[in-house]
This record gives sequence, structure tokens and C-alpha cells, in this order.
Amino acid sequence: MTHDAVLVFSKTWGLVYLLVVFLAAVLWTYWPSRRRIYDDAAQSPLDGREDQPWQ
Amino acid sequence: MLRRIPLEDTAILCALCLVLLGGLAILGWGVPVPYVLHGWLIALAAGWGILWMVNRLADAPAQAPQAYSDKVIRFGVVAALIWGIIGFAVGDILAWQLAIPALNGDMAWTNFGRLRPVHTSGVIFGFGGNALIATSFYVVQRTSRARLASETLPWLVFWGYNLFLVLAASGYPLGITQSKEYAEPEWYADLLLLVVWLGYLALYLKTLARRAEPHIYVANWYYLAFIVVIAMLHTVNNLSVPVSIAYPKSYSLFAGTQDAMTQWWYGHNAVGFLLTAGFLGMLYYFLPKAVNRPVYSYRMSIVGFWGITFLYLWAGSHHLHYTALPDWVQYLGMTMSIILLVPSWASVFNGILTINGAWDKVRTDPAVRFMMVAVLFYGLATFEGSFMAIRPVNSLSHYTDWTVGHVHAGALGWVAFITFGAMYKMVPWVWQREGVYSLKLEAWHFWLALSGTLIYVGAMWNSGITQSLMWQTYDADGAFLYSLLDSVVEMHPYYAARAVGGLLYLIGGCIGAYNIWMTVSGPRKTKSLQAGPIPSQPAE
Repeated sequence: MTHDAVLVFSKTWGLVYLLVVFLAAVLWTYWPSRRRIYDDAAQSPLDGREDQPWQ
Repeated sequence: MLRRIPLEDTAILCALCLVLLGGLAILGWGVPVPYVLHGWLIALAAGWGILWMVNRLADAPAQAPQAYSDKVIRFGVVAALIWGIIGFAVGDILAWQLAIPALNGDMAWTNFGRLRPVHTSGVIFGFGGNALIATSFYVVQRTSRARLASETLPWLVFWGYNLFLVLAASGYPLGITQSKEYAEPEWYADLLLLVVWLGYLALYLKTLARRAEPHIYVANWYYLAFIVVIAMLHTVNNLSVPVSIAYPKSYSLFAGTQDAMTQWWYGHNAVGFLLTAGFLGMLYYFLPKAVNRPVYSYRMSIVGFWGITFLYLWAGSHHLHYTALPDWVQYLGMTMSIILLVPSWASVFNGILTINGAWDKVRTDPAVRFMMVAVLFYGLATFEGSFMAIRPVNSLSHYTDWTVGHVHAGALGWVAFITFGAMYKMVPWVWQREGVYSLKLEAWHFWLALSGTLIYVGAMWNSGITQSLMWQTYDADGAFLYSLLDSVVEMHPYYAARAVGGLLYLIGGCIGAYNIWMTVSGPRKTKSLQAGPIPSQPAE
């Protein structure tokens, strides 16, 4: 594999890879039905239940 | 009567025996005296650990209490403060030596190259590392509502990590170093840290596995990224061959450009995952607790997490602009560093907007003020970092004090400010005190630290730009107008100012340590109906 081939590979497939990973992360996080999970999680340190271990 | 020894205890005992054998080999075969002393230290610590383990196993198995294990957190806080004071003090001594060179006393061990790693390891790994371990233990237990998943591993992690720090800091002045920036400890200390770190990772994962809710709170993601990536960086960058068991010296497996690239892949990700991801974990737990408001956008904190973890790993090559590194690797590092600004500033806005609705606490609660300023400095340092990674800008900033100013904006302004803010909250919680001993002293600490940081960073911006301009000024024939020595002479006022700024920061740190000491030695909280940490009230 020549230097140029590595270069072309990283400039094409590298770009696609990072873009896909980014889109996957954003879709997974912002999918409307997942909203509740994150809203609950954001409240979890403040809901006063963490004073004692659960089991 | 024999009983079955749990698998975990067997593994820990085996690890301790291996460390003991290593220590014995070093003290037996070692030739240089400091190296032999390190062998004794390792062997004694491992032997003590084995005796402690055997004692525990001999006793009847005790039921782990239905409570969080906070004792190791208290040890971590104390260790972080001790290392912090040592690290700040050595840093300021170096600053005065740079301003007034005669202060090094003409002794080998006070040589800048030997003393500087005591400062950097002291503050980054001693202060920052211990603070991260202590707060991560606090956060993972509270957010999982589970006790740490082992009674022995937390202590192995705490003492093993601090043994590593003692080996590192005592070795440097005596000349033991592999001369890789921020990875100076030699092979035997590196192996010890590897054992400790695997224990830390196992403990963290096992505790998360005990969590009450299926979702893992975002602060743990950041702490876990810190633990996993440091394990990876530490292992790869320290791949080396010791010359013999008799000497501490080793040679890197990599050569030339590869060695440089590996080193800065390590170096920049130590910034990204120890000094950034770990402390973002701290921010995402302690800031919401301190202002009693949820993270402004929890979803943004998650997208920011993936952005930071994916992008940082590519950015290291911006430390090697205009070197033998292939151009495309330099441009790759530069590009990734610029994109990195997006998730970094997403975290900044997320932090600042979390305070919305509780801005009165910035005025009344110095701990919140510490955290708010920490976020602002994080924004400043990440913007500056992305900017400096651009090649033409780097041709101006590289090798000058601008870099030193940049890293201190991040370390003093972001890392230490968020740590002190979190500690002023966590110390009364883990010691069950009503609150911090003195809010007035806390405010003094804040203002001393802020003015020290501003003086420091301002002085280094001036000296850095002055250096780069003097080094790039040519006469009509294209020859340098100034010698290097001319620029050194010009640095004196800035170096004096830097030393004063560092002194203010050190005094602030001492006041902070005194305040925490008085908090700890003060009276316990009277039992109230509501146990555990209550959201702090603004001070009257």
C-alpha cells in the first residue's frame, strides 16, 4: 500500500466512518421516544434517592 | 478450618505476590542506590498488602455494610491535597528559578529537567489523579446507588496509585526518568501502575454492574472513558525494553518519528481523557448537585461525550507541526483539533446554562463560583487549543511560553478550579459535616486562585508572543536580528510576574487545604431526618 493509497482511503472511508458514527450518535440520542430516559437520568442525582444504596 | 477464598481475593493476592517478587528482584539485583531503595519500597508495600489480605481472609467473612464506602474517598481527598500543595510549591520554586537562575543553588537535583517532572506529575497525577479517583468513587456509588463492588480493591487502587506517585516523584530528582513528557516514570513504575489501573477498571465496571437503574448516569461515561483510555495510552506509550533488571534504564520500542508520534498521541490524550474527560465527569455530577438543577441538556452531554472521545484520539499530531512527521498526519491532527472545538464548547454552554435559574449561588456560594469560572476557563483553553493547532498559528506559538500559558489556563483555571469546587461540596458530604468550615476563607481561596491564574496566563501570553516575534525578526540580509539570549533577557519581567501569580495560587491552595482540614476536624453534622447530602443552601 502506497502513501497515496492510504491518503485516499483515509480521506474517503475515514470521512464516511466518522460521519456515520456522528449521525448514529445523534439519532440514537435525539430519537423522540428516548426523551424520557434522558429526562429521568438528568433528574436522578437530584431526586434524593441516592442517600442510601438500593440493595 | 479452610474455606474457599473468593476468586477476586485470589487474583489480588497473586498480583501482590508478583509485585513483591518484582520489588525483591530490584532490591536484590539492583545496582544504583535510588533504584534499590525503590525496590525496598515496592517490596515493603506489597508485603504489607499481602499481610493485610491474609489477615482479612483469616477473619470470619464480614458482611459488607448497607452503606456507601466513603473511607477510601476521604483518603483520596487528603492525598490529592498533599500532592497539590507539593506540586504547586515545586512549580512556583521552578518559576522563581527561571526568573532568578541563581536560586537553583547549582545542585544536580534542582536542575530544571529533574525538578519539572516533580511539578507536572505532582499536579497532574498526584493532585488531579487522586481527585479523579476519589470523586469517581463518590459519583459511581451515588449515581448507581450501590456500594463499591469490593472491600479490598479500592484500597489496592488508592495505595498502589500513590506508591506509583512516590516512586515517580522520588526518582526524578535522583535522575531516574525515561524522558518522555508526562510519562517520565521508568518501566518498573509503569508496570506497577498497569496492575493498579486494571484493578481500578475492574472495580468501576463491577460497581456499575450493581446499579439500580438501567441507564448509566452520564458522569460515569466520562469517568469510564478516562479510565479505559488512560489504560490504553499508558500501555502503548510505555512499551519499552529494560536494559537489565540491575538498572532502571529502558529503551522505547519505537524509534524516531514513530516514537515522537506515539509520545504525543499519548501526551495529547492524557490532556483529553485525564484532564478533560475525567473532570467533565466531575462537572456533570457536582455542578448539578451544587446548584440543585439538572444538566441543562442531558442529551447534549451525551453527544458531547461521543464527540470528545472520537475526536481527541486524532488530535495528538498537532504537537509535531513542521517536523519529520508526514504532512498529511499534521493536517489530520490540525483538522481534528479544530472540529474538537464543537463538542468542547457544547460542554461549556451546557455547564453555564445549567447554572441558569441559580445564578444567585455564584454570588453566595464560592464552590459554585469555582465551578462557573472553571467552565469559562475550559471554554477559553479549548478555543485557544484549537486555534494553536492551526499550522501557521503554531509556527508562531510552538516552542514559546504561549504553550506554557495555554496549558496553565487549562490546568489552573479549569482542572484545579473544578476540583476545588467539587471538593468544597464533597468534603462535608463524605465526612458528614454541616458545611465547609469558613465560606470567607473559601472566597479568599477563590480570589487568590483567580488572580494568580490571570497573572500567570497574562504573563505567559506576553512572553510567548515576544519570544516568537523576536525569533522571527530578520534584518535586510535575512539574518536573525536577535540572538536567543536577547529574547531570554527580555523574558525577565514576565517570569517574575509568573512566579508571583504562581505564589498567589499556592497561597490560595494552602488556605483551601487549611479550610478543608478545619472542616474535617470540626463537629459532625447533627442527625437530621434527611440523611446524606442535602442540596446546599446559599450562605447568609
